[in-house]
Amino acid sequence: MLLSTKTNRSWTEFQHYWELLQVLVSRNLKVRYRGSILGVYWSLLNPLLMTGVYTAIFGTAFAAYYGNSLLNYVLAVFTGLVVINFFSACTTQALWSVVSNGALLNKISLPTSVFPTSMVAANVFQFIVGVLPLLVIMTLINSRSLLNVLVLFLPLISLALVCLGIGLLTSSLFVFFRDLPYFYELTVFVLWLSSPIFYPAAIVPASVRSFLILNPLLPVIESIRQITLSGMHPDFHLIAQALLTGIIFWAIGFSCFRAWRHSFMDLL
Amino acid sequence: MEVIRLNQVSLWRRTQEEFSYDLKKTVLSIAEGKFRRPAKKQVLDRIDFVVHAGEKVGIVGANGAGKSTLLKVICGILQPTQGHVRVAGQIAPLIELGAGFDLELSVRDNIVLYGVLLGFSRQEMKARIDSVLAFSELEEYALVPVKALSSGMAARLGFAIATDVQPDILILDEVLSVGDESFRNKCKQRIEQFWKADATVIVVSHDWQFIQQSCESAIWLEKGRVKQFGDAQQVVEAYLASTWTFRTQETKS
Repeated sequence: MLLSTKTNRSWTEFQHYWELLQVLVSRNLKVRYRGSILGVYWSLLNPLLMTGVYTAIFGTAFAAYYGNSLLNYVLAVFTGLVVINFFSACTTQALWSVVSNGALLNKISLPTSVFPTSMVAANVFQFIVGVLPLLVIMTLINSRSLLNVLVLFLPLISLALVCLGIGLLTSSLFVFFRDLPYFYELTVFVLWLSSPIFYPAAIVPASVRSFLILNPLLPVIESIRQITLSGMHPDFHLIAQALLTGIIFWAIGFSCFRAWRHSFMDLL
Repeated sequence: MEVIRLNQVSLWRRTQEEFSYDLKKTVLSIAEGKFRRPAKKQVLDRIDFVVHAGEKVGIVGANGAGKSTLLKVICGILQPTQGHVRVAGQIAPLIELGAGFDLELSVRDNIVLYGVLLGFSRQEMKARIDSVLAFSELEEYALVPVKALSSGMAARLGFAIATDVQPDILILDEVLSVGDESFRNKCKQRIEQFWKADATVIVVSHDWQFIQQSCESAIWLEKGRVKQFGDAQQVVEAYLASTWTFRTQETKS
């Protein structure tokens, strides 16, 4: 009896969490796009434009590393950019989410983690509608295999986990340190430059390259490129590496958030 | 039946004034060896009381005695540092209405959003949109963004959503003054309806006459402690007497 009321309670808590997530995500998307579904495709403008710029500037210089094909370079830049854009949008929005809902958290008892999670979820939705179809088409053309399309979801899941972990971490740190956005912007910029997005990883000196492994986005980008662009069977070693990174970062973010959330209310 | 039980509840909160919100300052102060752990202040001190179903309890006390903090602990917004809080049933907190609105969204969407924030399901809230609109007299504004409403209208909407279903436990921080005269009467009627219908009510108010008339028991808080808990008439009288002696002492000196 006692046990059943306990499971019942956690079930209703889970339901409430799920409902909250749905309303917060739909609010987020409604405010962002004001009812126009095409608005989601605005989010494609940035990676497409930047891909064009990089190709125009670096394309010919780096094409040799991509089998002398400008198209390969374009696709590699595009896949890299969508990953880093997704990451920076998710985590920067998540960073503000707890503090900006501080007034609300002081009035109603709510599970705090739902705010950063809803930010990541809104971006996942946007990614699925906007970018994912393009990635699927690229995969089908290059590999002609449904296996690659199915497996493509694994590095994307790990990307979402990395973003959720870092989002939870930044949102809780921001409660304590209100000058965090400044430092976080710097961090994102460093991650951005240290991810081989518009340059081939081969040009980085070997001594520096070992540091790039610290970048959590590296295995994700590599794995997505391998699946979508190489035309070969998916490399499960790379996928496992990406998933492991995702799980580690999610676990770090989640446990920090759990440990710190009780001190939030004194500072909101 | 017991609805609310507070068992030796103490709460320590960080004092915000001296806390540095800066990463830069914190890092520098650690580097210079000047870092101190932020000080904490006791806000609630070993509070014990039990509220039974259907009871109406008033909380009185001076400013800063911890009345609103106590309500927040009961609502689950603040976790007690020590002790236990047990609450059975759904709580409707009416602490400053309308905190959950998104100004950009329409009134309809906000009804669902605010309702879900308060713990109802989306489906339930969608079914209740019409009755909320009717009570708040905002039918014509259903599709208008909340930022276009006046502050009185927004408060009306907040009240209507929070009280559309009778909660098991109603928490009132100060007696409500929402909107214009006619709406205030409507609010009063609805609250009175809850009052009669066996809801458990906890109300914080400086209006001691109201507490004496409408509550059965009262809690007198002083500096985070329960000074007296019992019959509303007696507690309020004792509280008033203490403020009187305090005042007469002041005028003498």
